[in-house]
Amino acid sequence: MAVPRARGGRRFIVQSLPEETLVYDVDRSRAHCLGVVAASVWRRCDGRSSAARVAAAVGRETGRAVDEAAVWLAVGRLAEADLLEPNVRTPGGRSRREWLKEAALVGGLAVVSITAPLAVEAATCVANCSSRPDGPGNCGAIPCCPPASGNCCRQGGGHNCACKNGACNP
Amino acid sequence: MTTCLARLNRLAWPAGLSFSAYGVRVGVRVTDPAVMDEVVARLPIGWKTRSSPRVDHLVSLVVGDREPRRGLTRLHLVYSGAVRAFRTRDLTEALQFLEYHLEEFVAQMAPGRVFVHAGVVGWKGKAIVIPGASHSGKTSLVAALLEAGATYYSDEFAVLDARGRVHPYPRPLRIRDQDDLGRRVTADALGAPSGRGSLPVGLVASTRYVAAGRWRPRSLSPGEAVLELMSHTVTARFRPREVLRVLGRVALRASALKGRRGDARETARSLLARIGQDSGA
Repeated sequence: MAVPRARGGRRFIVQSLPEETLVYDVDRSRAHCLGVVAASVWRRCDGRSSAARVAAAVGRETGRAVDEAAVWLAVGRLAEADLLEPNVRTPGGRSRREWLKEAALVGGLAVVSITAPLAVEAATCVANCSSRPDGPGNCGAIPCCPPASGNCCRQGGGHNCACKNGACNP
Repeated sequence: MTTCLARLNRLAWPAGLSFSAYGVRVGVRVTDPAVMDEVVARLPIGWKTRSSPRVDHLVSLVVGDREPRRGLTRLHLVYSGAVRAFRTRDLTEALQFLEYHLEEFVAQMAPGRVFVHAGVVGWKGKAIVIPGASHSGKTSLVAALLEAGATYYSDEFAVLDARGRVHPYPRPLRIRDQDDLGRRVTADALGAPSGRGSLPVGLVASTRYVAAGRWRPRSLSPGEAVLELMSHTVTARFRPREVLRVLGRVALRASALKGRRGDARETARSLLARIGQDSGA
């Protein structure tokens, strides 16, 4: 059975580290850290090669004993990270746990992902906007911390504060 | 020039200033010269006056009525370029917004610098970088590290250059008590020295305060450390290629730990011991 294809038509920024590869998906603002084996599998996901062939090539590249189970485990994780074309099919009859058991001795299969923050999410924010004490300037007029959104603004001309989307308006 | 900016320009602007901070050129102007001192007190860290009026960004403060009037009260307005970004009856609030806006603009636009929301201290020639969201306990950990003898670099941003070295961003610490916005305390007032030059990063400590928590961190791989830092990087979406390159350089040279923490002093002692071990190794 052939491995699926890596995502096409997306803009990726790839940065290599000694034992890992960082992949930034520009279109989805997601960053991924791929272990050395997962990265090698991803590069070989062409929709044509068999898992056995990919395993052999990855083994040669990484110097690790990589088998088909490890390849399918990596494929599953890459698919979860949305780095492969959708509707990935894996050989039937085996659960993820079984693949994991078989591939337990192969390191470098990790795929860790984050969503890159908006600028405003990587900044100071107000946690308890509505319970802020009375007084001039106390609403802060700076962003509210998630899960709230918007800025902590003065409410209706009084001294009560509330998170409001867009510019604060008295 | 947009119509809106042209209309704004027709107002009288008796006071203003052109400055640069971390390579970003910004102009600020006000309709009331009496507030200029308060504006200057809120300019971003590292600002320097420029003689040239050419700027990358112009912020305008239209000062309204200080006291409510019968009939129509003129509001205080803050414009970011031609866009009205904020309006309020409270001048303090307008000034706070101006300060926040300028700081964020510089953090986003600084050429050759990557701003990570983090606390930073120096210890024996290396920096400890503590990335984290607001209210994760960065400042209290920075204060505990200063109390243990570390040098102050920042409680807001780790400012990284292309080589991955961290530069001082010595804004006074914002120590939160009942007031969520916090009171400002200088490192000097805490008896700690402030760093002057850049430092290589020796340790990245990603942590969040949890009551009754204990600091039992796990080590992060360099790639995981990059993601941890990137989660708090202002320009992560705006300049991802540069961010990955710079953070990669940091992560390859520094150790990285992640875990919840309880008492700040205990965690501070552990971090200093760890960076001491790494330096000695």
